[in-house]
Amino acid sequence: MNGERYTLSGLAVPEGLDSLHDLLARASRDHQSLPPEDVMMLEMAVMEIAGNVIEHGKPSGAVVWNFTLDVGPPLHATLADSGEEYVETWTGQMPDELAESGRGLALADAVLDQLLYERQGATNVWTMVRSVDTKS
Amino acid sequence: MIELTNSVSDGVAVIHCTGRLNMKAAPHLKKRVDAIVAEGLPRIVVDLTGVPFVDSSGLGALIGGLKTARLAGGDLRIACAGDQILAVPALTNLDRILRPHATIEDARGEW
Repeated sequence: MNGERYTLSGLAVPEGLDSLHDLLARASRDHQSLPPEDVMMLEMAVMEIAGNVIEHGKPSGAVVWNFTLDVGPPLHATLADSGEEYVETWTGQMPDELAESGRGLALADAVLDQLLYERQGATNVWTMVRSVDTKS
Repeated sequence: MIELTNSVSDGVAVIHCTGRLNMKAAPHLKKRVDAIVAEGLPRIVVDLTGVPFVDSSGLGALIGGLKTARLAGGDLRIACAGDQILAVPALTNLDRILRPHATIEDARGEW
């Protein structure tokens, strides 16, 4: 692990999710000492946050995102988007077990050591940190 | 995009999924479950052998399908899930209602 950085920019649309999956797979291939479970957990969080931006970002279909992954350790990812300020209230609670939505942020939080949202100027910035088990 | 194919035997429908079960794929799976239940087949096994990744939207589609199937007197069960998928119900406290089965035969159980 040498602290390499991976970046990706694009429109926050469902097709963009595949590019994020591909980038994380590439980082994992390039850094085979990274435990697959830690990369998988970060990937889950990234996809939930990205899905949230696609679903709630305004103006819909015109939001641009910039994704950055530092392999660290720890794994450190940011997703910055040009959408309007994110104003949903988030309790951190899982919804009722028969609910069909509303688990995304809670799931992301559950697999991360740190999940942070900040409004920086005209940009929403989601920071995701996952520590890496270096024992194995 | 996810590919869905169905097979039916002894009154149980099996939906074989190939591809990521995410926000793009979730509505397709839910629609497929609805159609199968509407055909009078509320006992459904979702075969996840070909699914490398599921997100909360995919999970929502499975829960939605489970509710549709149960309302019609049946159930929806999942089979052959990989490590990532097995982690999601556990992390979201859903492993009780969406219990994973190792094989399609296990999922069919006494059906």
